[in-house]
Amino acid sequence: MPNLYLVIPEILLAVSASLLLGFGVSKTKNRAPIVRLIAIAVLVLYSVLSFLLGSQDGEAFKGALIIDGYARYVKFFIGMAAAAGLLLAGDYLEREKLDKYEFSVLTLYAVLGMSIMVSANNLLALYIGVEMQALALYVMAAFNRDSLRASEAGLKYFVLGALSSGLLLYGISLIYGFTGTLNFEAVATSIQSNGLSAGVVAGMVFLLCGLGFKISAAPFHMWTPDVYEGSPTPVTGFFAGAPKFAAIALIARLVMGPFGDITDQWQQVIIVLAVMSMFIGAIGALRQTNIKRLMAYSSIANMGYALVPLAAGTVSGLRGMLIFMTIYLITVIGVFACILQMRIRDGMVERISDLSGISKTNRGMAIAMTAFMLSLMGIPPLLGFFGKLFAFYPAVQSGLTWLVVLALIASVIGAFYYLRVIKTMWFDESEHEFINPVRALSWTSAISALLLIGFVMIPFVARTGQDWISIAATSLF
Amino acid sequence: MIIGLAHYLTVAAILFTIGVFGIFVNRKNVIIILMCVELILLAVNINFVAFSTHMVETGANEPLAGQIFALFILTVAAAEAAVGLAILVVYFRNRGNIAVEDIDLMKG
Amino acid sequence: MLVAISFYLLAFVAIASAFMVVASRNPVHSVMFLIVTFFSAAGLFILMGAEFLALLLVMVYVGAVAVLFLFVVMMLDVDFVELKQGFLQYLPFGFVVALILLAEMIMVGAAYFTGETKALATYSGEKSNLERFGEVLYTDYAFFFEAAGLVLLVAMIGAIVLTLRERDGVRKQDITKQVGRTRETAIEMVDIESGQGVG
Repeated sequence: MPNLYLVIPEILLAVSASLLLGFGVSKTKNRAPIVRLIAIAVLVLYSVLSFLLGSQDGEAFKGALIIDGYARYVKFFIGMAAAAGLLLAGDYLEREKLDKYEFSVLTLYAVLGMSIMVSANNLLALYIGVEMQALALYVMAAFNRDSLRASEAGLKYFVLGALSSGLLLYGISLIYGFTGTLNFEAVATSIQSNGLSAGVVAGMVFLLCGLGFKISAAPFHMWTPDVYEGSPTPVTGFFAGAPKFAAIALIARLVMGPFGDITDQWQQVIIVLAVMSMFIGAIGALRQTNIKRLMAYSSIANMGYALVPLAAGTVSGLRGMLIFMTIYLITVIGVFACILQMRIRDGMVERISDLSGISKTNRGMAIAMTAFMLSLMGIPPLLGFFGKLFAFYPAVQSGLTWLVVLALIASVIGAFYYLRVIKTMWFDESEHEFINPVRALSWTSAISALLLIGFVMIPFVARTGQDWISIAATSLF
Repeated sequence: MIIGLAHYLTVAAILFTIGVFGIFVNRKNVIIILMCVELILLAVNINFVAFSTHMVETGANEPLAGQIFALFILTVAAAEAAVGLAILVVYFRNRGNIAVEDIDLMKG
Repeated sequence: MLVAISFYLLAFVAIASAFMVVASRNPVHSVMFLIVTFFSAAGLFILMGAEFLALLLVMVYVGAVAVLFLFVVMMLDVDFVELKQGFLQYLPFGFVVALILLAEMIMVGAAYFTGETKALATYSGEKSNLERFGEVLYTDYAFFFEAAGLVLLVAMIGAIVLTLRERDGVRKQDITKQVGRTRETAIEMVDIESGQGVG
């Protein structure tokens, strides 16, 4: 197989996950901490490898996978987000007596699935990738198997996830039937030469709906709040970042690649998903008292914003989506690093009111959390502002001004609940003091806050980042 | 009487509808929901096999790919059933029953 | 003609039993109807000329998945009293289902062996269905084959990590300990004076 070097990062993941499984299972004592450390190292190595491995683009496994600038960019951030997720999970898992080596192994397999999704160049590869990450995530959601809430979360996630896989598959079968092929490029060629048939459009709508479940876009968002609340907190943090990025990257590749010629058809679907997500996310969050549920609705709304530039269907739109999602990923890791610090002597707390007055007791965390909330609101000069700027501007350029106006209205509604969190932290009376967090948590939140506040504004970094994103975005066209 | 592609697609569509319908109307038992998922996957398999066997082998068409896809759906569906039933067993151990209307610990 | 009659029989049974999966009150019956549905769908596959997948469907679904479902249904909630009561009452119904399955098999077999189904599959040509699978599965689709293997591995890890309970105080065979035994740990040399016991 001549092109095997293109998939070295995936091979690394698969091999090391299997070796770690063998290492963990032959246990003389608890090997979870060491397995976790190795897994973090593997994930970082994976990110670096997939990014640096080459400027060489190409297809591997007879066109099943495609490795281009876009895939490399997304994989880099997915790997980093997963590594950060495992780093954050360590302390929680140890304290809650959940520390099993399988957690790290499942994370590696989930990342492998996402990697296949991002690189998919074939409907079969798409399906296998989606299922591999989904199966690992179902188990991780129910990982705290003695807790009723966690197992209920896992059950809900599984049932709706399996339903979404069914929709996705039905769509794929229609696309296959009416174009005669599974390959993305061949699907595009077939649509070009044979014209558009109703079957292909129906298949595309089913496929996008199935993937809409995975990014929790409304109206397919029902599982999100319950799963976010019930799952162990580090798992929730992982859910909020990497899998969403992988799924939306896959949607972008689909609509730009095989369906690139029928923009009119998919644009409507994306716009409906975007508008509903923005408003359901913004309004649903208003009456939440649990911080994890709040983040669930916040992620629904943010997926809506990320779909806005995608609806434009242009290179700059794709660029906007990548910038927005990257910034969202950094923010979400920071937020969950903060949520994991909400621990009093009796255990974890997760009500918003538990944050009251922490500006006096845990000043560092209060500052970081404030930065994240302001960034999610989109207040300049924080990075979140630029994320929204780059996301909404391409939509205006392609004449979707009304969509951007709706997005801005939803942002204003959303600002209310982010402000409420800030108000609780700074102006309410303190209820209790959080115990000192381990260094991994406080450092992660500090680093992501610093990234948001201004580090990226240094021209050198900003320029390089822009270049990466431009290369990534143009490689799909 | 010739039985063509449309006949098989109709059967698949009906099975798919029964599966989706079953997930939403079922209020008694979660395990029926898992069976409905299997029905949906079966419908998809019928679709793939029907398209595959009725496809003319010309140009870019890949008639066998549909059957290969169905093979992989079978594999993944078995894996999915295993994980789903494992989660269900864990839920049952914690809750003591598997009635759908009792899955309401978290709301809002 | 044979194909048409078989098709309508199989399609009707598949749909009716799929409906019964959803509608029946007892989950054990649901599993049984699920099996009937899969069986009829396998018949449909044979009619379309996909014999290999039809056999696979019976093996994987009826043989593995449906049995797994039955295990879990039995484990979770089953009203055994109700099940026993119904035995005689359900006997005629069972006969009907058995007859339908038999009729399906005969029809499909007849349609297959008279060669009517062969004409439908446009692609098959000289080679059999199975041969064509074998040609591509480990070459063109090798990547998917490996990836599907990993999916199964993930499912296995997941099922084990969720449901395996290790109890304390259970005597288990420890293979490392067994293999790692040396002469020193296994054999005790005792000098015994003749005419006296060990102790």
